[in-house]
Amino acid sequence: MDIRSHVSMVFHLDKCIGCHTCSIACKNIWTDRKGTEYMWWNNVETKPGTGYPTLWEDQEKYKGGWEKKNGDLKLKLHSRLKGLGNIFYNPFLPTLDDYYEPWTYDYENLFNAPEGDDQPTARAISMVTGKPMDNIEAGPNWDDDLGGSPIYARNDVNLDGLTDDEREQLNELERVVFFYLPRICNHCLNPGCVAACPAGAIYKRGEDGIVLIAQDKCRAWRMCISGCPYKKTYYNWASGKSEKCILCYPRLESGQPPACFHSCVGRIRYLGVLLYDADQIEKCASVPDEELVAAQRNMIQDPFDPEVIKSAKANGISDATIASAQNSPVYKFVKKWGLALPLHPDFRTLPMLYYVPPMLPVLAKTKDGNYDVSDAESENLPALLSSLERARMPIKYMASMFSAGNVKVVEDVYRKLIAVRIFKRAQTVKDYQQAEVDAALEAGNTTADEVESIFRLTALPTYEERFVVPPLAREVAVEAWEKPLDRKREAGFGVRNKIAKRKF
Amino acid sequence: MTKGERPSTIWFVPLLVFALVTTVTGVTFAQPLGQASDGEALFKEKCVACHTIGGGKLVGPDLAGVTDNRSNEWLTQWLLAPDQVLASGDPIATELFNTYNKVPMPNLGLTPDQVNTLLSYLGSGATIGGSVLPTGNAVTGKAFFVGDKRFENGGPQCMSCHSIAGIGSLGGGNLGPDLTANGFTKYGDGLAAFLSSPPTVTMNAVWKNTPLTPQEQADLFAFMKNASVSGREPGALLQIALLAIVGAAALIALAQVYWGKRLKGVRRPMIERTLAASTKK
Repeated sequence: MDIRSHVSMVFHLDKCIGCHTCSIACKNIWTDRKGTEYMWWNNVETKPGTGYPTLWEDQEKYKGGWEKKNGDLKLKLHSRLKGLGNIFYNPFLPTLDDYYEPWTYDYENLFNAPEGDDQPTARAISMVTGKPMDNIEAGPNWDDDLGGSPIYARNDVNLDGLTDDEREQLNELERVVFFYLPRICNHCLNPGCVAACPAGAIYKRGEDGIVLIAQDKCRAWRMCISGCPYKKTYYNWASGKSEKCILCYPRLESGQPPACFHSCVGRIRYLGVLLYDADQIEKCASVPDEELVAAQRNMIQDPFDPEVIKSAKANGISDATIASAQNSPVYKFVKKWGLALPLHPDFRTLPMLYYVPPMLPVLAKTKDGNYDVSDAESENLPALLSSLERARMPIKYMASMFSAGNVKVVEDVYRKLIAVRIFKRAQTVKDYQQAEVDAALEAGNTTADEVESIFRLTALPTYEERFVVPPLAREVAVEAWEKPLDRKREAGFGVRNKIAKRKF
Repeated sequence: MTKGERPSTIWFVPLLVFALVTTVTGVTFAQPLGQASDGEALFKEKCVACHTIGGGKLVGPDLAGVTDNRSNEWLTQWLLAPDQVLASGDPIATELFNTYNKVPMPNLGLTPDQVNTLLSYLGSGATIGGSVLPTGNAVTGKAFFVGDKRFENGGPQCMSCHSIAGIGSLGGGNLGPDLTANGFTKYGDGLAAFLSSPPTVTMNAVWKNTPLTPQEQADLFAFMKNASVSGREPGALLQIALLAIVGAAALIALAQVYWGKRLKGVRRPMIERTLAASTKK
């Protein structure tokens, strides 16, 4: 057992309202610079949809993540030799058009336009060429709220597993549905970007697992961009370095949650420490698809177990961090309750950002002014929130996103979420019989107490309950290699020591 | 040691005795080790490469009667630091430099004692002729130069420090000068004598204990005499340039074939595909 700590995250998709406040908070702090115009370290996608960059989930195009070849775990991108052959011509990069051409508006014109018959307009100006854009074709969230759109939504890779009938049904007017998927870097345990980097510039911080790109080591090979299956590393054309979400580590080090977490309007984001067994990483990333979620849960260890605590201490994890892990909302969602699932575990990078899948509205009709859900009733559970079998979004779609196709895993999560709703509804609206509540609890494999805790952490969590930031003690750790007061003067993103020009 | 206690000075005494003994013996036997003290040996070690006494000119002048022609003062200064004397614009030195193919006399790093020994030897009327070498073989000489054949006394192959025309395009080391221009061209026939006992400081240190045999000297001399910059036809340059251009173009075309699709993008083809499929319906 080799216990390490990881600052991990849960996004509760049921609570996401798609307002993009997180994206803006991140943009304003980190990517408001030359060369980063097109980057969104945090972005919110509408699902079904092809996301940003277009079709990022399609690894036949981008070759991100890992695959099992003859029983071995291999980078999907290339072998070492092939990587060397392609080093100047990495063929699996998204083009700028696959992200989008970033633009701003000519606001000046609103004030300075000469008098005329028409109102002046602010034309779109490309931030790449500086010239007016007549036709804006794509954006980082182009298909916003268009769940049934004929091009982007229909090409969603996760729909591939559905039958033609199921796909057709998704486009029926009454069934059209979408949900939001906010994405940041997953800070994976088995990161594809780190493995793909020929310069060895990407590393995972030991104390908290944050994956970072050393700006003075990056040599702009851009293999990380292909290697990351989530397309969460970006190339800065101005500095000639790649950049990615840094989980706002300067904020974490001063005890604050990252900006996107802090600013989240729907309070969907939770942050806390997970203790995991590093010995299991390779084994866990190599199991068959349907076991991936279980293996990843299994790797996360109980922070109350004396054996785990002993091993953690042997690895230099402080008491304060262990206490933080015991308090972690992420541990509860992921391991204790088993509600949060990794996004695309089939990429085998072991992402440490988990999602509670959304409860989508059931199919219902308005009949004589009443909201009629009688169609939704299934055999063994009451109507309204119960009809998993008749959910608008097929479970297979969710399974494709969150459990590498294992429908059972997603169903278990939904049964428990349904149990919570029925239990609370019986308490407050009182239109369910006790027998029905008990049946829901049993189907959800949960208890009244657990349901109550899930409800509290989902609906009524305080700031301190959502964000349990461990004391990273960076101010002490840094003394080991440099004088803290020297470091204090430096601030901001970029290269701390000026890099000498390359000599050829 | 506790505070207030004075350190004992006894340990200092043996050290003092040792220092005294070593200084006294050092001064008494201050004979530089490994350097010839006897005039003839010194001349053979340092001078015969370029000079004879009564044997005619080599690289430098015949030194017979030199002590009569030049003042003792000038000779002392010259032997101590010929480079400085020449640099100072001394008329005799400049004339010699011009007469002898602009090969400057190297600073041999002699001590004042050695200079005196040499001067008294030169004034003694002894004669030393130039060495006569056996016939050399240029092919063997090349083998010695590049190290295919080892020197009998274990000296290093020339190529480790020097380059010369005719040993392949990579050349040799560049710690020492390129011998195409600095070998035979510079020393002429004196090169053979140079090889027998190289007088320059670096070479002397390397070869003093591992001298070349006369046959080795002769072979090397034969090789270096022939070695010169190999000629290249003027047309060849154009040929090489053309080859480079055609080769680069071919490589670029090949890369385009292999990697040409890499910037086709994903979004546009997806839209085109989808639109094409929907119009077909």
